[in-house]
Formats: sequence, C-alpha cells, structure tokens
Amino acid sequence: MAFVSQSQRAPNESYTFASRPRPVENRSKYREPPSEQTHSNYGNIMYDRRVVRGNTYAQLIIPTTAQPDPVEAQRQQESRRRAIARKRAREQFIPSTPEALQGRKHIDVQTELYLEELSDVIVATDVDCQTDAFLDKPATPLFIPAKSGKDVETQIEEGELFDFDREVQPVLEVLVGKTIEQSLEEVMEEEELACLRAQQRAFEELRNNELAEVLRLQEQERRHSEEKGRRIAQQKEVLKKEKETAEKIAARAYTQQYLADLLPAVFTSLRRHGYFYDPVEKDIENNFFPWLMAEVNNSLEKRYTARELLDTIIRDVTQKRLKMFKELETQ
Amino acid sequence: MAGYLIDPSRAPVAFGRRAVPQLFEELQQPEADRRLRALASLCDLMHDPERIYQTVNGGFLEQLKVLFEDEDSSVRTKTCELLHLMTAHSIGRQALLSSSLLPPLSQLVDDNSSSCRRNVHRVLNRLTLLPAGADALLALVPKLMLKLRGEEDEEEEVQVLLLSTLSSCSRLDALPALASDGVSLLGHKLSHRSPNIRREAAAVMMALSVCEDGKLQVCEESLLPVLVDLLRDEDIEVQANAAGVIMYTVIITTGKRQCLDLDVIPILLELVSKKEEEEKERKSRKALVMYSLRALTALAEAPDGRRLLLEQLPLLLRRSEAAEEDHDIRRDAQTAVRVINWTP
Repeated sequence: MAFVSQSQRAPNESYTFASRPRPVENRSKYREPPSEQTHSNYGNIMYDRRVVRGNTYAQLIIPTTAQPDPVEAQRQQESRRRAIARKRAREQFIPSTPEALQGRKHIDVQTELYLEELSDVIVATDVDCQTDAFLDKPATPLFIPAKSGKDVETQIEEGELFDFDREVQPVLEVLVGKTIEQSLEEVMEEEELACLRAQQRAFEELRNNELAEVLRLQEQERRHSEEKGRRIAQQKEVLKKEKETAEKIAARAYTQQYLADLLPAVFTSLRRHGYFYDPVEKDIENNFFPWLMAEVNNSLEKRYTARELLDTIIRDVTQKRLKMFKELETQ
Repeated sequence: MAGYLIDPSRAPVAFGRRAVPQLFEELQQPEADRRLRALASLCDLMHDPERIYQTVNGGFLEQLKVLFEDEDSSVRTKTCELLHLMTAHSIGRQALLSSSLLPPLSQLVDDNSSSCRRNVHRVLNRLTLLPAGADALLALVPKLMLKLRGEEDEEEEVQVLLLSTLSSCSRLDALPALASDGVSLLGHKLSHRSPNIRREAAAVMMALSVCEDGKLQVCEESLLPVLVDLLRDEDIEVQANAAGVIMYTVIITTGKRQCLDLDVIPILLELVSKKEEEEKERKSRKALVMYSLRALTALAEAPDGRRLLLEQLPLLLRRSEAAEEDHDIRRDAQTAVRVINWTP
C-alpha cells in the first residue's frame, strides 16, 4: 500500500494528517493484507458490493402491515429453525429472544418518542409546469456594443496554409527514391549477370581451345600408335616370311643332299635284291634249271635205286653165299 | 484500413524483415487476384540478394510448389518469373536444386500458356549457370529435344533459350543429346534466319562434337558445308561457334578429308589474318581467331593440308610473333607453326 499520508506533529501546532486519495483495496474481509503493492489492483466500484445501488431515499422499507402473512411467518419460522439448528451444530448457543409462547407472536412496535408512519408508499407529488403563450413583443433592438480596443484583422493568403512544393517533396522523394532504388537493384543484378556470363564465356572459350588441342593431340597419338601398331605388325609379317623362307631353303638343301645318293643306293639295293634281271637268264633260272635239277635228281634217283638194288642183290648174294658156306661148313 | 493501393498491380509490402514472410502468407489467399499482386511485389523484391537469402533460409520455396498447379495461368507465369529472378543468384540456384521443385517445373514445360512456358525456359536456362544445375537437367534433355523438334512455330526467344540450355547441358555430357538424334535436328536449325538461333544451334553443335560419336555424326550428316557457310556469316558469335564445330570435327580423319575437299583453309586463314583495330573488337574476335588456329593446326596434320599451309606460313608467323598481345593466340599460332613444320 502506498502510504502517502503525511502526518506531522509540528511542535506547537495541531496534528495534521493528509493522505492522497486512494481506492479501497479489493480484498476479502478476513484475509491478511497482501504483502506486495496491490494498490494498482483497483476494484471497479461498479462491481463492488459495498457500493449502494439504486435510490437511497427509500430503502429499508418496513412492510405496511405489522402483521405478517401467516404462510410467510411459517416459512420464516422454518428457515429460522434450520438456521438455529445449524448454528447449534457449529457454535455455542447464542442467547436470543426467546420464542413466542403458544398462541402469541412477536410483533414489532415503535417505541420512540415521535411516532413515524411506516409505509412503503413513497410520498410523491406531481408537479408540472407549462410555459405561457407567447405575448407579442416588439423586436429587440440590435445590441451594438460600444467599440473598444484595437481593430486587428488577419487573412490567410494563398499558399500559406499549404505549400504544394514543400509538401510534395517527401512524397516525391519516396516515390522517386523507391523507383530508382528498385531500378538500381535491377541494373546491378543485370550487370552482375552480364559479368558472370562474360566470365563464363571467356572460360568456355579457353576451355574449348584447350579441349580442341587435347583432342587433336589425342587423335594424333591414336593415329601414331595405330600406325606404329600397323608397322610393327607388318615388320613381324616380314620377319616371319623371312624365317619361313630360310627354313624352306634349309629344308630343300638338306633334302637334296639326302636324296643325292638315294638313286644309286636304290638301284644298287634293287639290283641286289634281284629286281633287275635279265629275262632269259631268269627264265633259264626259273624254268630250265629246276627241270634240269629235277631230271638230274630223277636220274640220280634212278642210279641210286639201281645201286640200292644192286646193293640188295649183292647182299642177298652174299647172304646166300654165307648161308651156303655155313651150310657147307656144318656139313 | 483497406484504403487504396498506390500501385494496383502490387500488394503492399511490409517493412524490413517482415516483407518477405508477409507476402508469402498473402500467397496462400484463395483469391487469384491477391496472389498475383503478392507475386508481383515479390518479383520486385527479389532483385535484392538479401531478400533472396531471406527467402531461401526461411524455407518459403516449398510454398511455390502449390502455385505451380494453380488454375490461373498468369499466377503460374509470375511464379516462374519469380524463380527466374531467384536463380540469378547462386544461393537461389542451389536452393532450387536441393528443393523438390524441379519435377513440377519440368511438368510446366508442357503448359498451355506460352508466356508460362517462356518463363519456365528462362528458369531452366539460368539454372544451367551452375554446373550442378546442368547436371540435374541432363535427365530432361530428351524432353527438351522433343520440344525443340516439335515446336517449329515456337517463338524465337523460347527456341534460343532451349538451345542455350541444351548447350550448357551438353557441355557436361553430350550423350543424352546425341542419343535423341540431336545432330540432325540442329543441322536444320543452323540455317535458320535468326542469328540468335544460328548462334545457339552452333554452340550446341560444338558441345556435341566434342565426343567422338558426335564428330562422326557431323561428318555423316554432311553438315560441314553448312558450317563453312556459317563461317562467312555476319554475326561474329555465329562465326566463332561454327569455327568451333569445325575445329572439333577436323580432328578425326573423315572430318579432315571432308574439310579439305570443301577447301576451307583459305577461309580460315582469312579469319585469322584479319586485322582488328580496337580493343573491344579484338576481345570479341578472340574466340574466333583461337578456334580457327586450332582448326588449321588439326588440318595441318593431313599431308594435303600441310602442303597448302606451308605456302601460307608467313601469315601465321605474324600471329605468333611477340607483337601479338594476346598470350593465348600467340601460343596457338606457335603450335600451328610447329605442327606445320613437322616432318616424320
């Protein structure tokens, strides 16, 4: 709470107290005062229950009839009984007006010195008023006050309140400025792009150049190596052919040499084997001689046979002679 | 607070850091009108690299995926334009690659609206500034070739963009384009009336003829006469690119033979020996001179070529002198002279 009250006690003067007006704090009745400053937490007095609503000159009306309605009285009695029961349950018994005896009831009565009439009818009086009809009246004379003071006049000339050229400056600045800014940006962008493209083009040219050179050299290499390959193959062919030819020559020489004395050897061998023969001789040999031999054999056979026969005869003769001699001897 | 908009075609832009997020929130509104305005404002903002960083790091790119399938074609067109502006910077290109936006973007290539298609091609073209981007687009090359073939009445700008994209992709890897029969298609384009298309077609052809297969196809399709004509074209770039193709093609023997038959050596010599006066002209002719020198070097390996060039040796010697400021051209000329003077 902002305690802005000042209370001074001047030594010889009376006690003064002054404080700035502050709104009542909106807090509950039984709560501790809040520690922090809540004076900003004003309550809206429109919604504050402590503020009286409605007319203030006719509240707390006591009903006209002093005798309450019996039904009302019953209801009130019942509610009272319930309240009492509740109170008893919670607190000590608070003494109050004892209940009315049977057949009697409590009633309120005014006991002041001066009696008041109690009613809920508010004293009201009707008052009205009405203007009188207009009376004819002469025109009021024009009131022209006496002239006093100095005469001063002023006039707004053209162009004083609003100077177009001055006012239009900021607007124009913004318009033109923004347009130029935008166009400058665009131009810069274009320039940047053009630079980029130019650089790229230069690079591309160089690259193409070098690429062409590379490809040409590559192609050259390829052709050279192809040519080399072809020449080497050709050379190999030639060598192979040469070798073949040499071999052929060697083979031919050897063969010639080998076969040089083949012919006489062959003839000799054939002659040896008897393939070359004189037909008469052969014929004689083949035909005549066997016959001759055979005849000779035959004749010899005959001779032998004859000899054998002779031998046999001789033997027989001898045998006989022997026998005869023997017989002779024995005789 | 509704007030009027100062510029009815743009949505109001919040201040400072809130600009981009607020505009992206605006993009989720159901009315196509508001989305279009928000996209227009975003396009204005995206010229600033800081904003692009903010967009990429804030992960707003995924929201654009929904917009690709929008019914309104102007919304789609504007979205592609926005992407086109974002891919002007490397971080935008990298973000586009790492996000999953490429497949829907490739779908949009077949869109109905021609302005949308044009913007898609612009995006793809910018994407190829990054090698990884060109790599990612290699898968799209067959489709792009189909587009090129099918749309004969396609606007010139779209054709130029397509060809430029194809040339960047083919520099990385020429095989997909070759497989889709690129050489014959480009042969037609080489005789187009517009110099831009001729230039880009020649550039693609140059990229394709780096590969052995490409060189053979160029010879087979008998494109060399066309290319020799292009050497006499007015536009320097066209001449340079045509010289580049010839430079690659004469590396193989068939190419040498065909070029010598076409009597290309005098033309190349003329290109090399032309005197340039100003610095700017010299810079722009540098590529042409270099390629012509390389082509002559390759042609000098053939005996007929060498014979012709031995007669013209002084011309080349002049270029190889120390008087020539450009170091690369001098080196090329020296190589050419060396090859010409080589004896087995």
